[in-house]
Amino acid sequence: MTATRPHADGMACPLPHAALDRVQLGHGSGGKMSAALLRERFLPRFANEVLLRLGDGAVVPATGEELAVSTDSFVVHPLEFPGGNIGHLAVHGTLNDIAMMGAEPRYLAAGFILEEGLPLDVLDRVLDAMAGAARLAGVPLITGDTKVVERGKADGMFINTTGVGVVQDGFRPDPRGARPGDCVLVTGPIGRHGIAVMAVREGLAFEVEVESDTAAVYPLVRLLRSRAGPGVHTLRDPTRGGVASALNEIAAAAGVGIVLDESRLPIPEPVAAACEMLGLDPLYVANEGIFVAIVAADVAQAAVAALRSHPLGAGTVTIGSVVNTHPGMVVLQTGLGGSRIVDMLPGDQLPRIC
Amino acid sequence: MCLGIPGRIIEIHDDAGLPMGVVDFGGVRREVCLAYVADQVRSGDYAIVHVGFAISKVDEAEAMRTFEALRQMSQLDELEWMKEVAERSLAGAPPTEDP
Amino acid sequence: MRYLSEYRDPALARLLIDRIRSAATRRWVLMEVCGGQTHTIVKQGLNEILADQVEMIHGPGCPVCVTPLEQIDRALHLAADPRVIFTSFGDMLRVPGTTSDLFQIRAGGGDVRVVYSPLDALDLARRHPDREVAFFAVGFETTAPANAMAVWRARTLGVRNFSVLVSHVTVPPAMVAILQSPVNRVQGFLAAGHVCTVMGWTEYEPLARKYRVPIVVTGFEPLDILEGMLMAVRQLEAGRFEVENQYVRSVRREGNQPAQELIARVFRLVDRSWRGIGEIPASGLALTDEFAEFDAERKFGLGDIRATEPPECRAGDVLRGQLKPMQCAAFGSRCTPEYPLGAPMVSSEGACAAYYNYGRYRSVAPGMLS
Repeated sequence: MTATRPHADGMACPLPHAALDRVQLGHGSGGKMSAALLRERFLPRFANEVLLRLGDGAVVPATGEELAVSTDSFVVHPLEFPGGNIGHLAVHGTLNDIAMMGAEPRYLAAGFILEEGLPLDVLDRVLDAMAGAARLAGVPLITGDTKVVERGKADGMFINTTGVGVVQDGFRPDPRGARPGDCVLVTGPIGRHGIAVMAVREGLAFEVEVESDTAAVYPLVRLLRSRAGPGVHTLRDPTRGGVASALNEIAAAAGVGIVLDESRLPIPEPVAAACEMLGLDPLYVANEGIFVAIVAADVAQAAVAALRSHPLGAGTVTIGSVVNTHPGMVVLQTGLGGSRIVDMLPGDQLPRIC
Repeated sequence: MCLGIPGRIIEIHDDAGLPMGVVDFGGVRREVCLAYVADQVRSGDYAIVHVGFAISKVDEAEAMRTFEALRQMSQLDELEWMKEVAERSLAGAPPTEDP
Repeated sequence: MRYLSEYRDPALARLLIDRIRSAATRRWVLMEVCGGQTHTIVKQGLNEILADQVEMIHGPGCPVCVTPLEQIDRALHLAADPRVIFTSFGDMLRVPGTTSDLFQIRAGGGDVRVVYSPLDALDLARRHPDREVAFFAVGFETTAPANAMAVWRARTLGVRNFSVLVSHVTVPPAMVAILQSPVNRVQGFLAAGHVCTVMGWTEYEPLARKYRVPIVVTGFEPLDILEGMLMAVRQLEAGRFEVENQYVRSVRREGNQPAQELIARVFRLVDRSWRGIGEIPASGLALTDEFAEFDAERKFGLGDIRATEPPECRAGDVLRGQLKPMQCAAFGSRCTPEYPLGAPMVSSEGACAAYYNYGRYRSVAPGMLS
């Protein structure tokens, strides 16, 4: 600033220009800045009758059915990655948790913890993603909250979403429902989300023609319910920990064994290549737009056909079966005639170099 | 630390005196240091890459020859394969001393 | 993936398996000294499939596993230093030191980051001139060229805030140590294909002659391992003991000369302690005086850190092939991947981890294999 003579403007405390395009602590304080953020950025995107009442909470009609409720927090880093951003995950993730219980998602609530200094254009892109995803799924965001924490305390942003859905009559898929003789299906290629995120993580950095598969899967669940109904025993979305962890949880809950056929696992070539490079096993890599379904053998064919009839489920394949041997354990049969245990990992899968 | 995988060199450039390249591993691309194979490789060649460094150029002719020998093993006698194995190890080996 | 996927062909694998079965007139004992090969063998169940023809003993081929406890403790000390961004390959993060591991250090506020390449660590140093960046340079000869280049490059570019904590080991002395043991049962070796890609195989020729053991330089995919095993068995059946090369697509007898030259310039041979085995003379690499400014041990004064091994961990016996992981009293009970007593259970290349993750099924349901 090179003012050569004093004037009124020069006496005002100058806001550094950079801060005008970033989240500041004031945005979370409940005062004018908070109201402006809400009014200018959140409301226009999520506008619906309930939200616009701007009550402390939301009031919605009850219909006497059972409700399914799920909550999840999203802390992915980096916030943006090939195929999406944290906003997509925050909506799809919770909608999918409701769907995995067999329920029809109806409402969403969202809480935001923003880090001071988060660029507002990033916030805009995340909110755009959430609004788009919610609209596509036909699920309104009916209430929310925003807080701001100091620089360094929130990795950009954290989002918590809670979903409410309606349980559908006679349709109660449950991890304990898996039975020996059942077929294990997966609705699409595995490993895309985890690899897409890893590609943009510092220290790794590689280019890959893989995008996150983040998607809302309820349309597939609805199809499954209509064509295979009570024969659908278990649904599970293999997010963190991948297909391996999801199947291990099911095997443990139901007290059954699961056998997988390695040659049938749908792994896209770039995912396989990235896993080779990093020394990862695709079975443990996160997914955000597919799910595993365990269905009775007599409805398996109908189930696969139903799923494949929808673009989201076009890649559905049978990858294994449920057995009564080795209860609680998941075993993979390799192409060479050997077999090995697919265990739960103690923690995160680490890129292996050796 | 052994994890080395083969990839195709799709681009070669220089980074302040250090020969670097972009290598494609079945759809994944990464920057790789080519300093140790710089004299041997051109764009289109395959290399074995370990922790971001190309440590050898894949000998495609040899690979094809030995793979074919393996495939032939089912049809021909194993004798043919053994002859082939003997040949590949003799190349450049010193004369064996008597034990 | 080209030059990778073809070497997993199940039909060719079964062919090789048949050939090994018909070639062997008795059971032979082979050792591989490479974590990557151990991984493939146990993961594909190759040792189970060929159990009557070959006993595979898993040698000390996991550099993570053989890194001495005190080197781990030095790494942890460095990682906890607030001036330092500590970088490492992923496998090292869960390896237990005396009281902690890198994960716990990170949870406590240490800046610990996984990198794919030592050049990424150098890049980090250039982007953060106000911090010290240290890289945990663990590995066999395979990784030495990469680490040497990172140090060389740091000097060329005048980077002052970069250093390496070196824990390199070399393979031939370990093989000698195994062969010289009075209880040695190993009759033939699969030599590590990528170590030999760098170093060639000339060092193995005198070993084959002196100890009368066939040594086959072998790759890492199932077909490579099986072909290497067949070549070794054929030699043993014929009473030959030569060095042969299975991994022709990558290995030449003289190895990679430019890599060897830079290794010789940046590193020197030193005596090195192998965790669980003890000291093996001239089996390790350390930075030469010319590159002393990049030596994290000297820069941060880590030399006084000493450690003693937990008594219950039998890593040494496992690494020498004297004990199978399942035979260790602590295996699967007091020692698991979640709560490891030693490195072979933590590193995904370690024999104990390989057996825990892949091999447990056999003891659970032995009749289920084809």
